[in-house]
Amino acid sequence: MDNMKVRQICFYFIAMMPVVRFLVYPATLSYNSSNDLLFSAFINLLLEGAAVALVMLLAKKTKLSLFGLIENTFGKISAKIVYALFALFFLAAALLPMMEQKNFVLLVMYENVPSVISFAPFFFVCLFACVKGFKSIGRMADIALPVFAIAFVALILLALPQTDFSALLPIAGVPIKDVLKGSLFSANWYTEAAFLLFFLGNFEYEKRAALKVISSYAIGSAAVLLFLAVFYGVFSDIAIRQYNAVAQISKYTTSFTSLGRVDYLFIFALALVMIFRLCVPAQMCVHCICKAIGCKPFIPALAVNALLLALTIFLNYSFLEVQTLFTQKLWLMFLIFAYALPAAALLLKKRRRAG
Amino acid sequence: MSFAYTLCEMKKLGKKCKDNVKLIKSILTSEDILVFAFETADGAACAAVYADGMTDKALLGEQIARPLSAKEAPASAEDAAKLLQAPEIKTESDLTKLADEVLSGNTVLFIDGVNEALVAGMKKLSMRAIMEPPGAVAVKGPREGFIEDLKTNMSLVRNRLRTPKLQFKTLTAGKQSKTMIAVGYLEGIADENIVSEIVKKIESIDIDGIPDSSYVGKFLAERPDSLFKPTGTTEKPDVLAAKMLEGRVAVLVDGSPIALTLPYLLVEDFQGAQDYFVSPYRASISRLLRFLGVFVSIFLPAFYVAAQLFKLQILPLSFLLTISGSTQGIPLSPSLELFFLLLVLEILIEASVRMPKYVALALSVIGALVLGDTAVKAGIVSSSAIIITALSGISAYTVPDLVGTTSILRIAFVVVAGSIGTYGVILMTALVLYYLVTSDAYGVPMLAPFSPLVRRDLKDSLMKTSMYSLDKRPKTFKTKNETRLQSGKKEPKNG
Amino acid sequence: MNKMVNKLWTRIFIVAAAVLLLLFFSNDFGLIDIQETAIVVALGIDAAQEGEGYDVTAQIAVPASTGTSSAGNVTVKGVQTVGEAVAELNHETGWYPTLVHCRLILLGEEVANEDVFNVLDYFLRNDAVEDSCLVAACKGKARETFQAQSPVGDISASAITKVLSSEAQATGIVTVTILKNFAVGYYSESESGFLPCITVKQEADSQGGQNADGAFAPAGAFGKENAPYALSLAPSIKRNKWWRAKKRPLPIAAPVSAEGGNQGSGGQGGSGKSGSGSSADVFHASETMLFYKGKRVALLTPEETLAYNLAATDTDYAYGSVDVSENGEQTSYNLKMKISKKKRKLTFENGMPVFTFTIRANARIADTDKSQPIIDVAKTLLVNETILRAAEEKFQSELASLWQKATNAGCDLFFLKEKLHRFHYKRYAEFKDGVPEIVQVRYDIKFTSMK
Repeated sequence: MDNMKVRQICFYFIAMMPVVRFLVYPATLSYNSSNDLLFSAFINLLLEGAAVALVMLLAKKTKLSLFGLIENTFGKISAKIVYALFALFFLAAALLPMMEQKNFVLLVMYENVPSVISFAPFFFVCLFACVKGFKSIGRMADIALPVFAIAFVALILLALPQTDFSALLPIAGVPIKDVLKGSLFSANWYTEAAFLLFFLGNFEYEKRAALKVISSYAIGSAAVLLFLAVFYGVFSDIAIRQYNAVAQISKYTTSFTSLGRVDYLFIFALALVMIFRLCVPAQMCVHCICKAIGCKPFIPALAVNALLLALTIFLNYSFLEVQTLFTQKLWLMFLIFAYALPAAALLLKKRRRAG
Repeated sequence: MSFAYTLCEMKKLGKKCKDNVKLIKSILTSEDILVFAFETADGAACAAVYADGMTDKALLGEQIARPLSAKEAPASAEDAAKLLQAPEIKTESDLTKLADEVLSGNTVLFIDGVNEALVAGMKKLSMRAIMEPPGAVAVKGPREGFIEDLKTNMSLVRNRLRTPKLQFKTLTAGKQSKTMIAVGYLEGIADENIVSEIVKKIESIDIDGIPDSSYVGKFLAERPDSLFKPTGTTEKPDVLAAKMLEGRVAVLVDGSPIALTLPYLLVEDFQGAQDYFVSPYRASISRLLRFLGVFVSIFLPAFYVAAQLFKLQILPLSFLLTISGSTQGIPLSPSLELFFLLLVLEILIEASVRMPKYVALALSVIGALVLGDTAVKAGIVSSSAIIITALSGISAYTVPDLVGTTSILRIAFVVVAGSIGTYGVILMTALVLYYLVTSDAYGVPMLAPFSPLVRRDLKDSLMKTSMYSLDKRPKTFKTKNETRLQSGKKEPKNG
Repeated sequence: MNKMVNKLWTRIFIVAAAVLLLLFFSNDFGLIDIQETAIVVALGIDAAQEGEGYDVTAQIAVPASTGTSSAGNVTVKGVQTVGEAVAELNHETGWYPTLVHCRLILLGEEVANEDVFNVLDYFLRNDAVEDSCLVAACKGKARETFQAQSPVGDISASAITKVLSSEAQATGIVTVTILKNFAVGYYSESESGFLPCITVKQEADSQGGQNADGAFAPAGAFGKENAPYALSLAPSIKRNKWWRAKKRPLPIAAPVSAEGGNQGSGGQGGSGKSGSGSSADVFHASETMLFYKGKRVALLTPEETLAYNLAATDTDYAYGSVDVSENGEQTSYNLKMKISKKKRKLTFENGMPVFTFTIRANARIADTDKSQPIIDVAKTLLVNETILRAAEEKFQSELASLWQKATNAGCDLFFLKEKLHRFHYKRYAEFKDGVPEIVQVRYDIKFTSMK
């Protein structure tokens, strides 16, 4: 049974949602929105938050899963088609963060340039996670929360002495067009509402669940905004160069201490949480395939991970192209699947047809 | 199953004592099965069949032979039972069961004219005294430990839980050994579903013999191939009683001083009996140290290897130079060096456990001083690697119940660190965590109360709060009666 | 079914373990061999002695089996880029250089004459070098600076990093810059920055007449004229060694390798001086080089450096001397100053930018050059108004001097352009070309005594 608890969803939003935005996202945002990056991020967070709220509203009204809702409204075949489309979307959504983490791993965790094979074992872990279903997402969120909380607070505290928040000034110094472009071109980092949509039916709606989830989302969002603010405060005009933001912000405090780079401990801890988070879109993809074709998860999990591994190897030297494709060309796809469809799900029939 | 045994199953007891003795002797052909023949006052033949060395002969004479020989022959088994002065008497007519009773140390009594046999509990085994188990020494707290006798062990538990709600379900397993297994639980506290599932699993055990409770543990495991323990274990009745009070089910096996507890949570290995006898602050520190010990034991060698092979930056410059200096001229790479040192450590531990005590001391001196010091001097291994290995080895013993798992994980992590580096260590951690969080046994998650988070149970996990705040039983075990302390959270007020 | 899946997983795990073991025992997949790795602790970059390009000197820590370490210098000459030099290091020495522990980038004097980011570019691009490393310029050649030695047994790069420690910065003796901050300044609106300037002096020289070449200004340098009082914000070194040592609480001289000959004995590119001389060297970093668009434009004296630190950096306490005329006689007071407030604010008055330094400090007398009655010694915490005003005035004059020097050189030392952009964005376009020249400067400096 793929049961989750509302608490675990809350923890997911607090601890696992932000980590995927700690690598290339801040630098990309700095490139597009410069010192007004917080506004760009805020727009995305607001939109995603609204989608999350709508999904929770839907959860309040129905106990059905998304599959059940679509089946109820359009029939089983339609449900299968939608799930197949979402499977493709999740596969796409998984790719860029995985490539980001691959670059992060190869640059931050190794000194000699290692082959891409060093990252390959990730897919083994991901395969294992995919087979375990949603239950593992919830349980991992329980584990991730304290790990994230300690590591995040420690990294931010280590970075604060080097932070000049005035770097975020002047407010609205960047043309609104650039701020909006920043938001639009970072849509690929905002897919959480789509995940929540698939949690439907797998958790029991309890009293004030919507409030709890939205509050948790707000906390996670605050963590993202704080991170972005600190990041820009530390690097200001050279922020666009800092691709692996999470590994950069705190090193200035620790480099010259006798203990050395103790911040690595916290970076590794966040890398662990990142692994949990990176598995989620792949898990979602496998879930969708299983529902669409009605099979056990092992074979789809194997296929999905093999495909992702192949793509990671094949696109090893094309990160910039992939990033450009996902951020500047495919933003509409992300807007539809991550914002529009979760919101539109509210229109589906919420009760089973009699007979 | 022997031919005689099968044949006897078909035959029934008669009224002739002589024939009945013949029948049972046809099953129990061994020479240590003796027959004590005597007569009643009116000359009716009686025969007590017992296993030599397992039955108390004095009691046999006192409680069976003397009362019978002083009275006239009884007409029925019930009358005979009234004559006898033994407290544990039952009647039985199934020959196979009678044979089993004899083999388990009881006395079977045949009387002329009675077509049933009487079974008197007169077991007298030579067993060791109740003493403190060497594996669970307590500085403070009770020192008695279980022994190999099931009944003694049950009595030790009952002595601590004098409630009618303490139930033991006695089962037999092992085709040849016929080992007695008792499933103990507190009615109304333990989850009945778990009890019946355990009973079902024990009943389905189809093995020749069960020399120890660990055999039963393997059959009770929901994941037999798991690297982690399937059940909790204890050698101390006070610990078992405490665990049963929390809602766990105990499994006691005849012939084993180790009791099993189910369902098993990983966190219980970090809890020591002594934690409940000292202040909560001290207990919390101890538990955190144990956690740190296991963490250091598993991760320190791995990070040491990964840092040297893949990421020098993790090490502070001065430490790096020290390591670099000490590894000059070492023929092995850091990963192989540590791998072999960990193997040597395991060999030393294995040898010292199995070696006679008087040699073990000498061996530890040889192991620690001669091997280590000479290896460093000879330039085979570096001094820093020796320190890391020793630290890891010692740290593992902060949680003795997890030593087996820790040592395997430690080597696995070193292999991963030596092959994939730091990221490998993180991935392996993720894999182990994925495994643990999805490992539910008897409906209870192994990593509870951390994942899934059970806030109430955190009070007695890595931290321990005062007794007053532990007013409820762990929620994880889904007990019906949750209240453990009626005046929960109300500390007595002085003055 | 469950059993089958379990078996499958077991088999998968066995295969994975076998692959891992194969990788583990084959032991040949691009990992670091620590015994063949040169741990570069500092890089010195000089303009090439012959022709164009650069001479790059790497100071490599050489671990000894006892755990103590020494260093060797390897110079690669005539390379076009730093990256080329790093690659060359491997070819020439056979050692694979790792720069992750590189804590210092030292730029030779000539390099600073052109845009230093021509060479620093490598470090910004390369993730193998942390931009948290210290950057400094030096007088003369960086290669020669690395060859300096002192008797305490430390490597020169380590000695220099100690001179440039955050503790030194806190006392105002040196201005410390890390690569990241220097780069932020370079790429900011102000396009300015500063680097500490390292000079090497023979210890014997520096102990006596410390001001021979102007590396240290004399205590009276600010007010050597006939002013009634004069303040030297730099540590006074007027009297004797004890006095000097007291006023330099941090080690400014650090030893280099005791393994004579090791320094600079490096590879084929090797440097000249063996470093085996018997006299020890001292590193001074009390001067500060100012940069605009990456080029050196001015040099702050030690007094100006201290004034800058008191006004703009993390310095929170410092010693300074002030000469006061008392009863027709000059008395020199050494004050210990604890900064309680420092603020630099750009405002607009009548449409024109005004930059105000607001500094509040607590002062106490640390020493004088004359014996005084015991009651005055007992009241050492109390500083009379004359001395305080003298200190304020001197501090102001030093600030004015460094402001003038920086402005004349085009260096926006106080990042006014950036402030203009951040805090007065609407006026940015109007004033960006005139800042800092047209800015009116105000000083609100107040020293108080314990009461």
